[in-house]
Amino acid sequence: MTKYIVRRLLQAIPLLLLISLILFVLMQNATDPLATMGGRTPTKPEDRARLTRQLGLDKPIYIQYLYWLIGNDWAKTDLDGDGVAETYGTRHGVLRGDFGTSIVQTGRPVTEVIGERLPNTLILMLTSEVIIVFGALLVGVFSALRQYSFFDNLLTGILFVGYSMPIFFIALSTMYIFSVNFKRWGLPYLPTVGMFDPKVGETPAQIILHMILPVFSISFISFAAYSRYIRSTMLEVLGQDYIRTARSKGLPKREITFIHALKNASLPIVTVVGLDLPLLLGGAVVTERIFAWPGMGRLFIDGIDRGDTPVVMGILMMIAVSVVVFQILTDIVYAWLDPRIRFD
Amino acid sequence: MKHLKSVLFMMVIAALLLAACGGGSAPAEGTEVAGGEEATQAPGAEGGEEGGNKTATFIFTQEFDNLNPLYTNQWFTAITYQMWSCYAWTYDDQNAPVPNLVTELPSTENGGISEDGRTLTFKLRDDIVWSDGTPITADDFVFTYEMTMDPNNTVASQSPYDEMESVVAADPQTVVVTFNEPFAPWAATLWKGIIPKHVLQPVFEAEGNLNAAEYNRAPTVGCGPFNFAEWEAGSFARFVANENYWLGRPKLDEIFIRFVPDDASQIAALQNGEGDLGTFIAYSDIPALEEAGVQMFTVFSGYNEGLYLNLGEKGHPALKDQGVRQALAYALDRESLVNDLLLGRTGVAATYWDNTPFVDPSVAPYPYDPAKANELLDAAGWTDSNGDGTRDKDGVELVLKYGTTTREIRKEIQAVFQQQLLEVGVGTELINAENFFDGYAEGGPAATGSLDIFEYSTTANFPDPHTSEWFCDQIPTDEAPDGSNWQAVCDTDLEALFTTESSQVDAAAREATFHQISKHIFDQAYWIGIYWDPDIWAVNSRLTNVKLSGATPFYNIMEWDLAE
Repeated sequence: MTKYIVRRLLQAIPLLLLISLILFVLMQNATDPLATMGGRTPTKPEDRARLTRQLGLDKPIYIQYLYWLIGNDWAKTDLDGDGVAETYGTRHGVLRGDFGTSIVQTGRPVTEVIGERLPNTLILMLTSEVIIVFGALLVGVFSALRQYSFFDNLLTGILFVGYSMPIFFIALSTMYIFSVNFKRWGLPYLPTVGMFDPKVGETPAQIILHMILPVFSISFISFAAYSRYIRSTMLEVLGQDYIRTARSKGLPKREITFIHALKNASLPIVTVVGLDLPLLLGGAVVTERIFAWPGMGRLFIDGIDRGDTPVVMGILMMIAVSVVVFQILTDIVYAWLDPRIRFD
Repeated sequence: MKHLKSVLFMMVIAALLLAACGGGSAPAEGTEVAGGEEATQAPGAEGGEEGGNKTATFIFTQEFDNLNPLYTNQWFTAITYQMWSCYAWTYDDQNAPVPNLVTELPSTENGGISEDGRTLTFKLRDDIVWSDGTPITADDFVFTYEMTMDPNNTVASQSPYDEMESVVAADPQTVVVTFNEPFAPWAATLWKGIIPKHVLQPVFEAEGNLNAAEYNRAPTVGCGPFNFAEWEAGSFARFVANENYWLGRPKLDEIFIRFVPDDASQIAALQNGEGDLGTFIAYSDIPALEEAGVQMFTVFSGYNEGLYLNLGEKGHPALKDQGVRQALAYALDRESLVNDLLLGRTGVAATYWDNTPFVDPSVAPYPYDPAKANELLDAAGWTDSNGDGTRDKDGVELVLKYGTTTREIRKEIQAVFQQQLLEVGVGTELINAENFFDGYAEGGPAATGSLDIFEYSTTANFPDPHTSEWFCDQIPTDEAPDGSNWQAVCDTDLEALFTTESSQVDAAAREATFHQISKHIFDQAYWIGIYWDPDIWAVNSRLTNVKLSGATPFYNIMEWDLAE
C-alpha cells in the first residue's frame, strides 16, 4: 500500500506541472488587472505602463510562468522605467513555497489571502456536504426499500423540484421569504447576509444562524443527485443473491440493509464523494455571493474579475493538489470497503 | 434510524436559534440576541460602550482592495477617506469645495496661484492632527508626494503628481507645488488622501517600499472624524469615533461597512434594516425600498449617459455630416424613455457636463421631432432609393453598428432606439460587448473604431470638467494605442478651446470657455445625450443629517446622527 501511495504521488508531479501551465496561460487571457483597477474610469495610460513594468506584466508569458514557478530573485527588473534592469526580484516561486503576492490586495502573500477565507468556506461547505451525504443516504435507502411507494414518489418529486431550480433562485427567494417578509409580518426572521452580525461578533450561535439559508440552498439542489444515485445502487444490491441468502437465513432486516447491502452499495458513492470533496475547497460561487459569505468562491470570482493571477492560481493549484490527494484517499477507502481490492 | 435523530436534533437547534433571534430585532440590543454565554464572547463588543452606542451599518457591493490612498483607484475605498483619512479639501452637496486641511483654496485673488499659473501655495490649518495626536504638517504632504513618485512603490496612480516639477515644505504650515505646465484641474485631483510620515517613513526605510506595509490593510493612524478599527476580509470593516478630530467628535460612535457583492442581497439587507445605507441602487428597486421606509438620494457625480458618434475612418460615412448627426438626435424620444424605462426619476441629458456650471445656459436637449429628422436626412441626400426600409446614398445603406456594454438598462435603451431610428429610415445593428471598455491594444470594439455609435457614460476629473477625450492626438493608433478619443473626433476649433481651458487659472474665464465647448459639441451633435446617470443612494430614515456629495459623498459624515 505504501509503495502504491508513493507511486501515485510521484505520478502526480508532472500532472500538476502540466495543469499549472495550462491554467497560467488561460489566466493570462482572462482579464487585464490594470484595466480599471476597481475604479469607475479606465486606468491612465502612464500608470498602466508603469505598473505593467513594475509588476513584470510586460515580460513574455513563459518568463512570467517561470517567475511564478521558480521565483525571480535571480533576475533583475526595471522599476524606475529608464530601460535598465537594476533591481533583483523578491519572489521565490511556487516550488520554493512562495505563491507570490496578490495584485489586487497589493503586496499581500497569496497564502495569507487564501488562508483567511478557507476556514469560512470549509464551515459552510462541510456542513452542507455532511447534510447532503447523510440526508441522501437516508432518503436513498428509504426509497430503495420502499420502491414506488407513495413516499418514494413524493420524495423523488420534491428532490427533483430542487434539482431543477437554479441555486440563485432558491437562495434569493428563501432570503426574501424568511428574512424580508418574515420580518415584515412580525415573525422570527433569519438574517440576510454575512457570516455573522458584526455588531454581535463572531459567535457560534451567530454563525449557525447565518448558515441556515446558504446551507439549505446548497443542500436542496444537490440532494437529488446523491439520493438518486444511492437509491439505484441500493436497488441493484438488494436484488442480488447474497441478500436473498441473508434474508432466508433469517438475519434481522436492519443488519441486512445497513451492513450487507449498504456497505457494498456505497463503493460507487465513495467515488462520487471523493471527487466532490476537493471541489468543496473552491467554495460555492453563487451562494457565497448572494449571502455575502466571506469564502473562497467569492475570492475566486473577485480574482477572476480583476485579473489577480497569483490568487486565482493559488486557489486552482490548491484544488488540483487536493483532487490528487482525495483520489488516493478514495482508493484507500475502496480497499477497506471491499477486501478483494488490492493495490500491491 | 439514528441519522434521522441527528438531523431532527439539528433542526430543533436551528428552530430554537431562529426563535431566539426574532426576539431581539433592534440592532442596539444586539448583545441580548443570542442569549447569555455567546454574547460575552463577542469580539466586536470589545469597545466596551454601554447600550447607548450609536452604530450605523453601510452596505458596500465591493470590498476594499487596499486602504492606503496611494495604492488604490477603487471608488468604494476612496469614498471612505472622508471617514478616516483626509483630503486637503472636500466637496459639499453642491460640489463647492470645503477646506479641510487647508485654510482656504489657492486662487489668483488670494495669491495662492502664481501669475504663470504653475505654482500653487497651500496654507495649512495649525490645529490639524493625526488621530494619535501628532500634528499634520507640510512634511506629510511632501512625504505623500515622494512616496507616490518613488519607483519602488507600485502605487495605483501617479497622476497628477507626475505633472509636478517640485513639492516643497516652505514651513510646517505651507506647501508649495510647482507644475511643469499650468494645470487647471488641480482642485479635483490633488491631495486626495495624505499619508502619515511619522508612521510610514520607518516602514519605507526598513523595506525599501510601502507595497506590503501593514498600514495598507490596517491604517490605524488617520485624520478623519472616525478611526479605522478592524477589517475582516470578505465580511466587514469597523470604524470608531475619533476623539482627536479637530472639527469636533462625530455624533455617531461606530460605523460598520459590510461587504455584500450581490445587488439583490443588498436590497434585501436594506429592506429589513440590516444595512442603513447602500448605493448604486437600480431604478426598478426604488419603489420596494421606499415602501420599506428607506429614503432615496439622487446625487450627480458627473456621469451622463450618451451616444458617441464615430467620425473616424472606420465609422459610417453618413456620421461625418452634421445634418445626419442632428437628425439622429431629433429621431430619439428620450423624454418618454426617461419616463418609461427610468420611471421618470432622472432627466434627459443635453451635454457631457449636464448638472454642472460648465454647460452653456442656452443649451437644451434636441426635442423629439421625427419630421425634422426626416427632413435633415433627405437634405443630406440619404433616401430609401431601393425601398428596403433603410435610407441609402451612393450604394451605401444607412445601417449603423450600435454598440454598448452588456448592462441591462443599456440593452433596453438599444431596443427602444432601434425602433425609433427605423421609423426615420435609419437601420441599426445592435452589439453588446463584454470587452466594451478594452483599449485599442486589447482590441476593444469602441477603441478600435469598429462601432459607428456607442453608448456609455464617463467622467474624467469630476467635479472638474477637464477631459482629454476630444484631443486629436488622443485618437488611438498602433503607435499610440492608449488614446481616449475613441469617437475619433478631430475638430481643430474644439481642440483649441480645450487647449485654452487646460491652462486657464481664472475660474470664471475657464467656465466661459467650457460654455463654448459644451455649445460646440451640442451644435455639432458629436455626442447625443440620453439621460443623467446620477448615483442613487438608499439611506435608512433612522439616519439623520445625511447629505451626500457627488465628488466626496461622505463629506459631512461627522454630522450624521441616529434618530431613535
